[in-house]
Amino acid sequence: MRQTRKLSSQELLKKNVLDAGLCTGCGACVNLCPYQVIYRDRTVQLHSCDLSDGKCYAFCPRSSTDLSVLRKSLFPQADVTPEIGVVKGYYLSRAADSNLRERAQHGGTITALMELALAEGLIETAIVSSSERQVNVPVAIKSKDDLLQNSQSRFTVSPTVATFHEIAAENIAKIGVVATPCQALALAKIKTYTDKDASLKKDKLKLVVGLFCGWTLARDKFTELLKMNNIDESAVVGMEIPAGKGILEIYTPQGNRTIPMKEVENCIREACRYCVDSTAEYADVSVGAARFGNDWEEMRKWNQLIVRTEAGSDLIDLAVARGVLEIKEAPSEILKELKKAALEKKKVAMKNIVAKSGRENNLLYLNSNDSLIKGLLKRSGRKK
Amino acid sequence: MSNLLSPANKVVLYMGNEAIARGALEAGVNVACGYPGTPSSEVVESLSKVTTERNLYVEWSTNEKVALEVAAAASFASLRSLCVMKQNGVNVASDFLLHLTASGTRGGLVLVTCEDPGALSSVNEGESRYFARMLEIPLLEPATFQEAKDMTKWAFELSEKIHNVVMLRSVTRLSHASGNVICGRLPAKNSKAHFDYSGSMMDPLRGPVVSTPVVPKHTIQQKKLAETANLFEKILCNYYEGPKKPELLVITSSACYLYSREAIGMLGLQKRVGILKLGSTWPLPPQLLKKHLKAAGKVLIVEEVLSFLEENVKTLYAGCAKEIGVKAFYGKNDGTIPSVGELNPDIVAAALGKIFRIKYKPVADDYAHAMQEIEKIIPLRQQTFCAGCPHRASYWNINAALKLDGRAGIVCGDIGCYTLGALTPANGFNTVRTSHSMGSGTGIASGFAKLDAFGLKNPILSVCGDSTFYHAAIPALINARHNNANLTMIVLDNSGTAMTGFQPHPGLCSGASGETLPAIDIAEIARGIGAEVAICDPFDLEKTTAQLTTFMEKADTVKVLILRQICALSPEKKGKKKYLMKVNEELCRGEECGCNRLCTRIFRCPALVWDKVKKKAVVDEVICAGCGVCYSICPQKAITKTEAPPQ
Repeated sequence: MRQTRKLSSQELLKKNVLDAGLCTGCGACVNLCPYQVIYRDRTVQLHSCDLSDGKCYAFCPRSSTDLSVLRKSLFPQADVTPEIGVVKGYYLSRAADSNLRERAQHGGTITALMELALAEGLIETAIVSSSERQVNVPVAIKSKDDLLQNSQSRFTVSPTVATFHEIAAENIAKIGVVATPCQALALAKIKTYTDKDASLKKDKLKLVVGLFCGWTLARDKFTELLKMNNIDESAVVGMEIPAGKGILEIYTPQGNRTIPMKEVENCIREACRYCVDSTAEYADVSVGAARFGNDWEEMRKWNQLIVRTEAGSDLIDLAVARGVLEIKEAPSEILKELKKAALEKKKVAMKNIVAKSGRENNLLYLNSNDSLIKGLLKRSGRKK
Repeated sequence: MSNLLSPANKVVLYMGNEAIARGALEAGVNVACGYPGTPSSEVVESLSKVTTERNLYVEWSTNEKVALEVAAAASFASLRSLCVMKQNGVNVASDFLLHLTASGTRGGLVLVTCEDPGALSSVNEGESRYFARMLEIPLLEPATFQEAKDMTKWAFELSEKIHNVVMLRSVTRLSHASGNVICGRLPAKNSKAHFDYSGSMMDPLRGPVVSTPVVPKHTIQQKKLAETANLFEKILCNYYEGPKKPELLVITSSACYLYSREAIGMLGLQKRVGILKLGSTWPLPPQLLKKHLKAAGKVLIVEEVLSFLEENVKTLYAGCAKEIGVKAFYGKNDGTIPSVGELNPDIVAAALGKIFRIKYKPVADDYAHAMQEIEKIIPLRQQTFCAGCPHRASYWNINAALKLDGRAGIVCGDIGCYTLGALTPANGFNTVRTSHSMGSGTGIASGFAKLDAFGLKNPILSVCGDSTFYHAAIPALINARHNNANLTMIVLDNSGTAMTGFQPHPGLCSGASGETLPAIDIAEIARGIGAEVAICDPFDLEKTTAQLTTFMEKADTVKVLILRQICALSPEKKGKKKYLMKVNEELCRGEECGCNRLCTRIFRCPALVWDKVKKKAVVDEVICAGCGVCYSICPQKAITKTEAPPQ
């Protein structure tokens, strides 16, 4: 008889996440131990580890996750929308400082919020994606100038959660993180992890500002695409997807270049196909571009802002009170459009998940007993 | 003073290889050279210590072929020369040897091959006795330490008599064991080199030394060999011991003679079994063989590795069978003697037992039982890299780079301590996928790198030691570069021929006898070939891994990464610690999630010990070489390093 050995956490991570094409590259399994590292945007297992119940697998946003349990513990009283998660408040927002807006991708909301959190001592360090295109490693930031340098979107993943682990191990008490949906989910799993491991400094996580995210690009493929288009990757200073044009704009000192979105979409990271979250539902606040319809040019310098937790709410109140953030009520059609887009991503993801697992009762990392997931499964099933 | 210079008639305890060296000195050898290789290295090494006293030139040559060429030049200039190598070295030298035996020699030239039955320190169980037969030169196989000395001395005379190379074969158990030898006289030192090429091509002593005209010269060579067979009828190292009419005749040579004698004694067969002990095994002396074959009905041939002696005896017997009658032959061909591995008295006794139907047990039952019990509790001692070995760090880096690169890079191995990289993760690092002869790793890699057109897209790497680089890897690197086989060659440069005992090589600025020589830089050679070159200290893990991943990504050229760090056992490093290492028990996380014993479970330096009771790692200060690498790998920085006080 063949003996079936219980797989170690590392083996589970390999089997269920890395080899399954579900790894988001968030870095949740990295910097906890010497066994996993991030190289470029890939999670690499350097040596074998035979421990079970390891944190690497527990924190992974693509290991089995009961989102309903997570929601209960993170948002005790709030109502949940099926499309964009918990909403305590929904606004359009932008940084009051027009200089900052100039340099930021959209409304500069994130930079303004992190700057404020640093200035007010709510956090001592902010972890954001670095603006070094070639490296794209997250950086820990302690000053305003550094923040500004890193206020452009890049559409490739950075192992932000790995940097959180690294910084948390240092002598720093309060950390804020700017996170994509998958990273925010990993951070939520860390925050609610119940094991009493003194080395795990989860209490240091004070603020998670989520980013709206449709997908990220797989580095190798995108590098190849830039090469094919004769674009020097190291010269790229920023990128944008203007609403309704079907192109990716690439900013370089030599001028702007464009690549058709159809080609760019071929470079999307496989894991993103199975992601049901486009608004970072497990963050304190979530911020995204206001990328809608005909008003693009006017809207592009505003952000959409979703407030989700008490801490998030307090931060926004403070930002308005201090005059660093301008907010306004969003027209209801924009919220409708956001929900529609978010639901569409969820449905596509559910379809892809079921196609991958081959069974409706195996939703890979998602729990099929979660009522929200159940509802989603029905809606995606109906519309074949 | 070296005991190689002991006066005549003194009884000296010599290692087999020293006895061979002493024999050469008694023959008045002027040039000795070779390439290091276990179990041969001590012959040249011991001669290198008496160069001044004995008017001797000694060199460690770049490889065995060049060594034989250097020795041949001395012979052509009428000096006596000795060339020493291990069994597979003869393969390397064989192309030149074929032509040398065809051209003939002048001053005595003895080719010593020290072989390794059972591959105790080899990656092959090769045998070079067949070269003697194939190239038609005499083969001598001493059995005792005295014979090792005496036969070496005599081999020079024989070489001069037949104007050709004489091959003398030793084995590990003779080369590396020690025994008493009565010394002979050391001759006066008055040799003068003179190369005469004024005579006719057919003049063996005064013409140009060439193998042409081939057929006439070949005819002469065969005639000389036939004369040698006659000579072998009467030489002292071929003798018979035993009853006049034995039931069984054992024919043997080399260390097997001693095993056979002991086995006969163990079974009390002295009155029934005789031994024909041969010191010369090619060509066989026909009359001596015939005489003893005739006397016995059964014949057992005892030899190691291949059935060389058995085949030759049977061929000779076939020519006189009608005259001496039917014999029963036992040996390797019928399975009486195992055809692989080393022999020992027990194995020979078991063979004799089979023939005489005597139940032979090498040890008593209760002893055997006790051994079995003990074996269960003896801790497993695995082959692994020494504490402080640069290769452990190098493979750590190579492994990391392969994993980071993520394209299943293939590493072709080579010959040296770093061959351990082919072993399982627990012992070596399970990194090396091929391992053959010296320099072959890079040649194979060059071939693999051209298979991308057939779908083999993996990055291709080779590892190669510094001495190996000079020995045989340079043509492979040139081949790779010239044919756009864009591999990454990693030279594990530990500053010496470490595995065989730190013999110098062309990359160092000292010679075999300590003389100052110009060093030839590996990096410059590689750059000259057109490779992109980087040099890293493998103990600097971060930099080395980064450099290697960068190289692996560069698909458009040949890359050479030199990992330079002196061997931990080298004379300049041994016993001198750079750092004092210690484990901070409070920080050590042991088996917890976050470490899981990285240092004692994966890195596995012998100096890192797992304390099962405390559940902490411990540095064994006695074994620790103080390299400091474990400091770099510890995720908790629980392993601390402090500069060691100067010694």
